[in-house]
Amino acid sequence: MKNLIKLMFLPILSIALFSYVYVNSIQPKLGLDLQGGISVILTADEETEPELIEQAVEIMRTRIAAFGEVQEPEISISGENSVLVQLPGLTDQEKALEAVGTTGLLTFRPVINSSLQLGYSPALTYSENPDDPDKPLVSAPSGVDELTGLSINDDPSTTSYLLSLSDGFPIIYELGPAGLTGNDIDDALAVFPNNEWIVQLNFKDESADKFTNLTKELASKTGDQRKLAIVLDEQVISAPSIAFDVNPEIGITGGTASITVGNSDQGESANNLAVILRYGALPVSFERSSIQKVSATLGENTLNLGLQAGLIGLIIVSIFLFFYYRLSGLIAILGLASFGALFYSVIALLGEWQGYTLTLAGIAGVIVSIGLTADSYIVIFEKLKDELKIGRSFSFATEKAVKDAWNTILVADFVSIIASVILYLLAVGPIRGFALTLGLATVFDLFYTRIFISTAVPFAGRINDNPRFYFPLTRKDIESV
Amino acid sequence: MFKKLFLGTTEINFKMLGTTFYKIFIVETIIFIAILVASLTGILNMNLSVDFTGGTTYQLDTIYTDDDISDVLTNTILEVSRYQTFENSNTIIFRAVESTQENETQFLNYLANKFEVLPNEIEFQRVGPTFGQDITEKGIRALVIFLSLIALLISFRYEYRYSLIALVALLHDLLLTFSIYVLIGLEITPSTVIALLTILGYSLYDTVILFDKLKDTQKSFKISNLNKDVLNKTFNEVLMRSINTSLTSAIPIISIIVIGNYLGIEGNLADFAIPLLIGIVSGTYSSIFVTVPFLSKIIKT
Repeated sequence: MKNLIKLMFLPILSIALFSYVYVNSIQPKLGLDLQGGISVILTADEETEPELIEQAVEIMRTRIAAFGEVQEPEISISGENSVLVQLPGLTDQEKALEAVGTTGLLTFRPVINSSLQLGYSPALTYSENPDDPDKPLVSAPSGVDELTGLSINDDPSTTSYLLSLSDGFPIIYELGPAGLTGNDIDDALAVFPNNEWIVQLNFKDESADKFTNLTKELASKTGDQRKLAIVLDEQVISAPSIAFDVNPEIGITGGTASITVGNSDQGESANNLAVILRYGALPVSFERSSIQKVSATLGENTLNLGLQAGLIGLIIVSIFLFFYYRLSGLIAILGLASFGALFYSVIALLGEWQGYTLTLAGIAGVIVSIGLTADSYIVIFEKLKDELKIGRSFSFATEKAVKDAWNTILVADFVSIIASVILYLLAVGPIRGFALTLGLATVFDLFYTRIFISTAVPFAGRINDNPRFYFPLTRKDIESV
Repeated sequence: MFKKLFLGTTEINFKMLGTTFYKIFIVETIIFIAILVASLTGILNMNLSVDFTGGTTYQLDTIYTDDDISDVLTNTILEVSRYQTFENSNTIIFRAVESTQENETQFLNYLANKFEVLPNEIEFQRVGPTFGQDITEKGIRALVIFLSLIALLISFRYEYRYSLIALVALLHDLLLTFSIYVLIGLEITPSTVIALLTILGYSLYDTVILFDKLKDTQKSFKISNLNKDVLNKTFNEVLMRSINTSLTSAIPIISIIVIGNYLGIEGNLADFAIPLLIGIVSGTYSSIFVTVPFLSKIIKT
């Protein structure tokens, strides 16, 4: 009775789990390479502090979440200074890169002048052309494009000429050096207190004084020069004026400010501005060291390939085992089938509960483990044969075979487990998936060997003691040794 | 013959075979070292994938002619270092060296025009050389830790000389796989590096099972030292298991290669399967024909 429970334990467990998974239609969570999408590896400078990278990852997460259309984005730090961004289901490469790739240097810069009043870029000076009065001569300071009147490379520490498109028509601003950056911002929120959308901006404690000083200076001026431009990546996002009731002696104190946005679009631009202020800047600049786009069909093909190869492999291995070990082969087939069901269920549940994604390398690990698992049966059956050859009775031989084989399998599987653990701990991305499935399969193999095979083989040994049921050998063959 | 093999009563004198295979092993080693040196010094060309060299790849499905391909190879926008086509499939992959973003976009559009596909149907991949280097560095670190642990385990359970033999067998498998890669010109990708690590596991697994069997036979002979009879009995008996296990391990992998080829799928899984298959065959060979010569040497001393 006790043996019967032991014998049936794993098969029943596997059927139960498989039914649970099947009934609740839980499917393994597929990695990017199996369902299509975009994967980007971003690498920062070697000396970058880990905290800054963590911050950047947080910001990227929020940005991606704001996208809405990515199903299960995975952004993880890999290695010391790389970030792996996986966006399954996303096909618009530009959009993905926009979200994760842009460093987005956010700065606050005083406005010196703008084309709004001049009608042309403040960078350009026009002088009369003696040859052709209709075409005045244009001169621009160094670093400024003569045709557009914009700075070619924006340097936040000096005066720059930058474009703004946020008002529906282009404005070119002449901006002073940056007074504050995105790092000074603590939080920004779009609110609607008095029938008017405003963005409530909070600076970090240590930056509040900087903001006060900047506003003091601006409040003493008039016109364009009262404006503070919010610049993200060489583009002026917004250039709000300092309110007229701000005292130039005091400035805006307390580290908070509110930007009045207006009601024209039900708060959309207020929200956008708040998001930019909050998450606009990544604290680190990254280099894209790899961009990989997998189409959904390619992913699907690979998944099918993996599944088909696994299934066909399992079937051929089963036929082979049955032909070879007959009744014992049947045990092996039942064991392998139950192993397969249990393994599938666990992978699916891990995906559901732990967010484990099955990747191509993971499937490779599964396929590799088929051979490993089948080997445990082969080792036991070969030991059984050895025992029979030295004239042991069937029931004794089966008991002894499973006992001896356990040691061998334990050591051999141990090698495999060490390999998986080391690979998992030391490796990046795809190798991890491989190591995890291989390791998991090896642990399962140990359970099956100890619980299922160890009971099933002696059990089968009692059914019939004719060697022909177990090996392609007759009793005479065995006795002749 | 089959029955004898199955009963483990083949009477092969492995001790004697050992001398022959020792010579074969020496020859193999010389060839491996020659190939290794030649590929490191650049005499033989290692076909490193874009992950190691850095650059871009473009994969598209289209109907093409040989002329189309040679047109692309001589294009003036980007230097195309390699291309790859597949039987039973219309897929072509072009690999280009690293260049500016404008050139890459221009080249993508050029391909789209040339093969009359939409630009977004072309699988574009950009890789810096750091990714491949990263994987290799981590692989080597994993390798060193793994090997030291395994050497300890084997020395502890069996004998320290066994652990040396296991390492030799393992190096043999790695070098054999690497040599075949270099000689055939198969592309070395990060998947290949992973596969090589897996081969380690396989090779050791096989060798450990063998040592275990050796220990068992020793016990049944009630002696503590390895001798000729133990060696011969063990290896005659273990032959069948080795063949069976390699077959069951190889079948799923062969099915990946066959089905993959039939469906015309290029990709990681196939990159993975080929070195694994080579590794399994080599692992089976080395677990017998590399260990036996060295075990024979142990008996002598």
